[in-house]
Amino acid sequence: MRRRDLLKYSALGALYPVVAGCDRSPKWQRDAFRKKANSRVAILSATRYDQPLKDTIVRGIELCGLDVKGKRILLKPNLVEFDPKGVINTNPAVIEAAIDSFRGLGAAQVIVAEGPGHRRDNEYLLSASGLFDVIKEHRVRYVDLNTDDVRATPLRSRFTDLKQLYLPESLYNADLLVSMPKLKTHHWVGVTLSLKNMFGVVPGVVYGWPKNILHWQGINNSILDINSSLPLPQFAIVDGIVGMEGNGPLQGQAKNSGVLIFGDDLVAVDATAARLMTLEPQKIDYLAKAGEFLGNLNQEKIQQVGERLDKLRQDFAVIDDFQKLKKLTS
Amino acid sequence: MIDQVTNALIALQNPDGGWGAIQGRRSNTESTSLAVSALKSLGEQSGSDRVLRGTIWLTERQNPDGGWRLNDVATAGSWTTALAIITLSAFPEQQKRVLNASRWLLVQEGSKPGILAELILWATGKSNVNRLNHDLVGWSWVPHSFSWVEPTSYALTALKKVRSSLTAENLNGRIQQGEALIYDRMCKGGGWNYGNSKVLDYALWPYPDITAVALIALQDRAGDQANQESLQALQKTADEANSGLAASWAALCLSVYGQDTSNWQKRVEKRFRETGFLGETKTLALALLALSGKSNPFRI
Repeated sequence: MRRRDLLKYSALGALYPVVAGCDRSPKWQRDAFRKKANSRVAILSATRYDQPLKDTIVRGIELCGLDVKGKRILLKPNLVEFDPKGVINTNPAVIEAAIDSFRGLGAAQVIVAEGPGHRRDNEYLLSASGLFDVIKEHRVRYVDLNTDDVRATPLRSRFTDLKQLYLPESLYNADLLVSMPKLKTHHWVGVTLSLKNMFGVVPGVVYGWPKNILHWQGINNSILDINSSLPLPQFAIVDGIVGMEGNGPLQGQAKNSGVLIFGDDLVAVDATAARLMTLEPQKIDYLAKAGEFLGNLNQEKIQQVGERLDKLRQDFAVIDDFQKLKKLTS
Repeated sequence: MIDQVTNALIALQNPDGGWGAIQGRRSNTESTSLAVSALKSLGEQSGSDRVLRGTIWLTERQNPDGGWRLNDVATAGSWTTALAIITLSAFPEQQKRVLNASRWLLVQEGSKPGILAELILWATGKSNVNRLNHDLVGWSWVPHSFSWVEPTSYALTALKKVRSSLTAENLNGRIQQGEALIYDRMCKGGGWNYGNSKVLDYALWPYPDITAVALIALQDRAGDQANQESLQALQKTADEANSGLAASWAALCLSVYGQDTSNWQKRVEKRFRETGFLGETKTLALALLALSGKSNPFRI
């Protein structure tokens, strides 16, 4: 069903301008968003999960000028599903290194939280993915965002027809939300990175498994409304040590990419990640729209630090529907 | 072991009488329904006062239209109504509430794609990319969205439990179509995930917990080949998952199919010792039901 819903609503979304005529009024609260003049994104080389990653992550955080002293950090990896033969999830080694890094930099609290989109069995997901050992060894609390207490949150943009969004209380009890996606292609929207990863903060107990209401509203639209309405600042650490190409986000092939990507402007991070994948961010529907109000998409507005992008660029395969993304214009 | 699981579950009861997903969380209908069923299955051992307080929490959260709210924040009628029916149908004095809720459940329908959407898919050559039958209507998680296996299964189990007391013209039709929808969503080789067996011609795999929930809803069709295949899939996937939730659902499902559950009960105990089920009320309650074996609320 998921496929069909997505196709259907992506298609409906594409027709919307025709149906809606000449309505050009912005779909976001004008005074609620202020893009920065420039956004800093760090790209660092990391080729293996069994090498020490903490120093790399600390460097990435510091290159972005992020101060976490005394802050409560919520790490949000991608644990949507598990496939022992695949590379769906954020690798536990990266999560472990992030826990160490934020603690070492003086964070008051670090928790790991996720609301898996397909599975309800946390014990299985955590054990099978290897994350259970990490949270046990490091005595980190894991929060299932699917069953967390919820709070009705007003939307600050109107790409979907949703009147409000129930969001987990844990988001209100943290100072910084760190999106930790896997660097992956996505067969409905092109790529799934730090913005799309936020689907996992939407509670399944309210919206179900999969979080189908978001698909009915259009994935592109939902990504925008969720990210525009998050009640706390965000940061991103993209696990691109091994990414996924082709038929992502579940059944694609592993792609050794050897990078970690950091930044506090998730649009800029995702745009940079897309360019690393040799995919044009301007042609990715939700990224292009996000670039209008949520963050910086244009390369000229992104101060890229660390490794050179062109040195680490990889050619990620995409399914036929997204071949159009392959022609970089920026 | 039963005592330890019971104590762990009892310790999670909130002062308001309900249960949250884990310790410290707000009470909700899913957790409270399962916890009440689990403690009630123990009879007097469980302490009738705790069951009574849990039952009161539940009855006070039924909306005037018959549906059950998720919790005190999300107050619209929800998919958890079916679980409340399953639990309260064991209490004769709650018969009126149960039937009222069943009538609410009968008017809830998952949505179908609209004509425009179908046209677009047809025009773009993508109308055959998915083998699901979109004409089948079951139950959704959220109003005005598609039907999925888990809410449909809970609804079917609830309606089948009260079938003999419920008079409604569309009852049999809804049950038949709900069953057809579940069979339509079955994965290749048996078993179910959330409700999608294929994406872009790639087969998706079944999950043990959802397979058990679906098989429970279809327990009165035990002889069907699909059920038999899915029972095999359940045991394979539950073994691979190796979790308290999977083992508990496997035991509860296999017991309604009259199969030996002792190995699964051992697995439940092992996982409790190893992980404590992460302190999750739902798994503790299902584990208690699986271990006690005294009464299975999911038996139709």
